[in-house]
Amino acid sequence: MARFPVFQSPFLDAAEKRMGSCENKVHCYMGDDTRPLSRILAEDEAEVNALGLTHEAIGHRLFHLAEQAKKGLGSPVVVEDRFLVAVEAARGKLSCPFGHPGLFAKTHVVLVNQKTGESLVWSDLSMHLIAEHGFYQGKGSPYRLSPKKIAAVLGLSRASH
Amino acid sequence: MDGGVSAPVILFAAIFTNNILLVNFLGMCSFLAISKDLKSSIGLGLAVTFVMTCTTGLNYVVNTFILIPYGLEQFRFIVFIIVIAAFVQLLEMIIERVSPLLYVVLGVFLPLITVNCAILGVCLFMIIRGYSFLQCIAFGFGGGVGWWLAIVAMAGIRERMKNAPVPKALAGPGITLIVAGLMALSFMAFSGMIQMQ
Amino acid sequence: MDNAFLPAGAGLLILAGITSILALLLEVADYFFQDYGDCAININSGKKNLTVKGGASLLSSLMDQGIFIPSACGGRASCGLCKVKVISGAGPLLPTEAPFLSPKELQDGVRLSCQVKVRRDLSLLMDEALFAIREFSARVASARMVTETIREIRLDLMEPREISFKSGQFIQFHVPAYQESSEPVYRAYSIASAQADSGGLTLLVTRVPKGIASTYIHEHLKPGNQVKISGPYGEFYLRDSDHEIIMIATGSGLAPLVSLLHQLAAKGSTRKITLFFGTYRPADIFYRQEIEELGKKLPGFTFVPVLSGAKPEDDWKGETGIVTAPVKRLLEQHPSTRDAYLCGNPLMIDTAVKMFTENGIPAERIYYDKFA
Repeated sequence: MARFPVFQSPFLDAAEKRMGSCENKVHCYMGDDTRPLSRILAEDEAEVNALGLTHEAIGHRLFHLAEQAKKGLGSPVVVEDRFLVAVEAARGKLSCPFGHPGLFAKTHVVLVNQKTGESLVWSDLSMHLIAEHGFYQGKGSPYRLSPKKIAAVLGLSRASH
Repeated sequence: MDGGVSAPVILFAAIFTNNILLVNFLGMCSFLAISKDLKSSIGLGLAVTFVMTCTTGLNYVVNTFILIPYGLEQFRFIVFIIVIAAFVQLLEMIIERVSPLLYVVLGVFLPLITVNCAILGVCLFMIIRGYSFLQCIAFGFGGGVGWWLAIVAMAGIRERMKNAPVPKALAGPGITLIVAGLMALSFMAFSGMIQMQ
Repeated sequence: MDNAFLPAGAGLLILAGITSILALLLEVADYFFQDYGDCAININSGKKNLTVKGGASLLSSLMDQGIFIPSACGGRASCGLCKVKVISGAGPLLPTEAPFLSPKELQDGVRLSCQVKVRRDLSLLMDEALFAIREFSARVASARMVTETIREIRLDLMEPREISFKSGQFIQFHVPAYQESSEPVYRAYSIASAQADSGGLTLLVTRVPKGIASTYIHEHLKPGNQVKISGPYGEFYLRDSDHEIIMIATGSGLAPLVSLLHQLAAKGSTRKITLFFGTYRPADIFYRQEIEELGKKLPGFTFVPVLSGAKPEDDWKGETGIVTAPVKRLLEQHPSTRDAYLCGNPLMIDTAVKMFTENGIPAERIYYDKFA
């Protein structure tokens, strides 16, 4: 039987299944969010539109900062005089839960906004999920980046891209 | 009773003037969820059409040869649902065995059909209207095509709406239902062509 | 007796009858349609012949027979690692497979084994190296922290009792579902122990914040626990030659290189070996004693730790900065024919490979195990 009431297409159902069932589990793309995937995607998309940005723009910005961080080979690097970025790599590859081909390296970037002190953590895979799928991960996921937080820490706004 | 209406007329009516989705508002659940994506809509519509046609035939047979002779009309609802669910299960198994390609493309929608009330709705309507076997098949096929038409049209409209300035409170199901209502209004224009109950 | 109930009673009976008949019909259909009988799988033109019960995916059917095809996504068609060349018997290409296969692969008949269902006899072509991979059950003999973030665990193999591997290879560690993760996963860890030590394995695991496997290994794994691993995997191992050797490692990338050093010591090698180890501060340098012992057995060996985050209070007199800098100096000041073995941070490896190819070590003599 399909899930009832029907919230989303079977492909999103399959993606949700690939992310693993998450009841109070910490390591999960959905975190402990009980909303169906389509609702998470829709609400985050609304947030992004309200900020005047697009998924690609956010993904692109994160990618650019990650590239700068990689130059440090693990040591922190100062970028644009206001961000301290450092990259860490772990062994292994992760696959995209939406069924895209390709494996993503487990490099993750830690960014600290030197003016506000806030920090942001993201990985290669989470960048792909944001740019290609508009998926910012469920509440409670360790790599959840709400669009508002990204915009606040990175200082992104309608005018800046 | 509609013994006099010919099958082709029923077919036409089921698609346009008595569209199961836009006039009777059945099968809305998967309609609202799946119409976001055009490709899925086409796939689901195809599956619904096929299942609807087959189950109307099946249920007509069950009704005529099992329910009526044994005086079991009060169990019609339950029996019809059981027959539909069993048929869908069987269909899934057959497709998986015969054509794995078709299974991956269409089979993924079959579980969604068991929860589609349009299928049951069509089966019950044909009994109420007292159709013959041929009329039932025409009605089932027409109902499916009408549902398919409605969901594909909705998917197209939602695609266009992606960049439209929809008010925040209405985004998602809100605007979709409003659009469905507008589509229903436009389909009412057909009702002048054929009078079918 | 009220007559109104009789028809209802008989009606319910007939209703139950219809339901039972349909249920029975479905059972029979399921049995009939899902029964593919026994299928013969022929691998590498008869090198291996298997008979499996049809109906499961090729990947799981082979795994049940002890042949482990690499997979990172558990058969969900998202990693593309389980490619196998199917000469005949695979059935039509599925849309879930198509994104992973290049036109040449499609022509050659390469398929994703997790998507191919075994319905009839199959004929496959596989890399012979895959036959050597086995699944092992082992017991944790000991566990200790060697730095603040790296844990060393020692495993005693139970079934099978011995593993034969090449120094430098890695194993896949099976992390079961536990408190913080609802599904089992596999993670790769290089073998740090010597080849000769075939009854057990030593692994070095770096703690990754919020990492599924490292959290399990650091917080939940205790001596006496039973674990499952599979392997050995990897193309990173010692090549025979008498060239000098440069080794570069960062973090737990030191593990396979230590295993390589054990192998060289066992051979009584007199090659000139320089091991550059890049990390942050003196406290992060581990295995000092083991490396010293190995140094005694290898006359041409030098150990060069390079710290990128040494503070004044550390009182560090050795090399500082990025690990590749002193390597570059060595290449420029003492040109020679060398082989390079690298393991660790993929960015370090990219930088090092570029530096080597520009300074006289050709790509064929650079061997690395990128973490990513």
